[in-house]
Amino acid sequence: MALAIAGSVLLISLVGAGWSWLRADEALRQELDLVLAGEAEGLIRDYEALGPQVLLDAARASARREALLLVLVQTAGGQPLAGTIDGAPASLRGFATLRAPGQPALRALGAMLPGGVNLVVAARLAAAEGAARALAWTPLIAAFGSGGVALLLAFFAARALERRLASISDVSALVTEGDLSRRLPVTGRGDEFDRLIVTVNFMLDRLQALVVAQRQVTDDIAHDLRGPLQRLRQMLEEVAFEDGSTRLPAAIAELDAVLETFSSLLRIARAEAGAGGRQEFELSALVLAVAEAYAPVAEEAGREFTIDVAPGVRFRGDPALLQRILGNLLDNAMTHGAGAIRVALRAGPVLSVADEGPGVPEAERDGVLQRFVRLDRSRATPGTGLGLALVKAAAQAHGGSVSLGPALPDGRGLEVRVELFRNGS
Amino acid sequence: MKILVIEDDQATADYIARGLAQEGHTTEVARTGKDGLFLAMSEGFDVIVTDRMLPPPDGLSIVRTLRASAISTPVLVLTALGDVERRVEGLDAGADDYLAKPFAFSELHARLRALARRPAAADKAETDLVVGSLRMDLLRRIVTLGGTQIEVLPTEWRLLEYMMRHPGQVLTRTMLLERVWDFAFDPTTNVVDVHVSRLRRKLEGPEGLALIRTIRGAGYVLDVRPGTP
Repeated sequence: MALAIAGSVLLISLVGAGWSWLRADEALRQELDLVLAGEAEGLIRDYEALGPQVLLDAARASARREALLLVLVQTAGGQPLAGTIDGAPASLRGFATLRAPGQPALRALGAMLPGGVNLVVAARLAAAEGAARALAWTPLIAAFGSGGVALLLAFFAARALERRLASISDVSALVTEGDLSRRLPVTGRGDEFDRLIVTVNFMLDRLQALVVAQRQVTDDIAHDLRGPLQRLRQMLEEVAFEDGSTRLPAAIAELDAVLETFSSLLRIARAEAGAGGRQEFELSALVLAVAEAYAPVAEEAGREFTIDVAPGVRFRGDPALLQRILGNLLDNAMTHGAGAIRVALRAGPVLSVADEGPGVPEAERDGVLQRFVRLDRSRATPGTGLGLALVKAAAQAHGGSVSLGPALPDGRGLEVRVELFRNGS
Repeated sequence: MKILVIEDDQATADYIARGLAQEGHTTEVARTGKDGLFLAMSEGFDVIVTDRMLPPPDGLSIVRTLRASAISTPVLVLTALGDVERRVEGLDAGADDYLAKPFAFSELHARLRALARRPAAADKAETDLVVGSLRMDLLRRIVTLGGTQIEVLPTEWRLLEYMMRHPGQVLTRTMLLERVWDFAFDPTTNVVDVHVSRLRRKLEGPEGLALIRTIRGAGYVLDVRPGTP
């Protein structure tokens, strides 16, 4: 930002300097032409009053003195009579700029005098050009000076701002990671920043209270419902064992399905509450291990299975949860998808699972990420309708997101992309 | 086996005790952490089952106390908090296994049997695992069946090694997922079944002396076919 400001100041100054150089050059040239005209007029008047000798003296004097003003007297045919001007044409009429090789550029004025004498008056252009250049440099130097000062000031202002923003961003990252007890430091200066920080801290207090409450409720539900459910399951199992009824195992299986849904809901709630141990681990190895476990399953089902995992991708997060969401995605691809399955992990990290099945219609892509939402055609297959909801909750718990799209260029298939938060930030 | 059950819920405690008695085990039941710890410290058990949440001390404290007292009796912790991180916590405390409520009795029993035999096998530094004519050379990483070498893939190796360390025991799908794949979740696709049946096909050599049996609704058993030497 500061650099951009200083840069534009410099650019404007450069343009200004160029323009003033052009203007100054132009003005000085006109000035020079006036001087030449005045000098020529004086000499012509002297010649008319006193005769040709005056002209010859003046020309010789200017040649001797190497004066600023050069005077050349020629015959009408171009034969020099007195004085020298390098590169002067035979009979110059009016103004001209002379550029003889190896000589400084000259501005010259030629006039035909009565009596067959040609007078040329010239002056070095270098002086005028030098003055123009000096004039042009002035704004440039000023610009560099003011630009530098602006840059310096901007740098210090930006550094102070950056330091305060960095502390906010550090704390936010820690809170995102699940350390809800962090608060932003108040400087006590009472400026806008402090007011913002107080507001954010208040928001964090509320967030922490809500999350703690949710975790508590989740644990309570888990504990209070699992007890009775355990006893119910025990009773069913014991009765089934005693009288050998064939309908009871079906009842137990039904109960187990309820229990599965129940624990999936709890898991989603816990993921949303940001629970779960965070640790640094190699995501590549984890993805490879899960994918390799599923590969034979796909092969047995006659489906192509490709694993494309970038090596050495490290990540800070909850490995058990990530293992589980990849499992969910592969279960989905096996159950609801069709054709080749492709598991990929890219640096980012971005995890994706694609298949060549019918996919998910665009209008329903957001829906299937919600709890209990299932596509009509998959209602016949077993499942809780919670798999993708957990994937979404887990991705968000890691500061990432989930997106659904077609896997193939022609719009068929389904690719689920899980973008995770960049490592360590 | 002599098993100690520490569980404050009467119905669950009775259910476990009854089930284990039916399987021919001797059980003692403690209803508080204090009683449980006292029994665990004073008597020799083959394996201990403890609830995690108990009238104090809780299950994890009991495990820690036992380990601090150099009592290495295998402990399985039961819990109504079935989360993975809790499981890791339990194992870190020194528990040998962790089972979430509600559970099927067959799952608990399979895990207890696997636990009870473990220390004996783990004590000696083994170089070979042998089940019938199936032999696994852990140093040279070779599997032979009746003297003929069998090629096994890395995953199959881990699966076979785990099964050979627990011959004749029912190993549930969840146990295999946890121990062989280190999976903390239950895939809805038949991942375990596919891997086991691939391994089984490799082990069905011409002699077919050792094999993997499927126990319906429970899991798998690796054992020597009855009636063969």
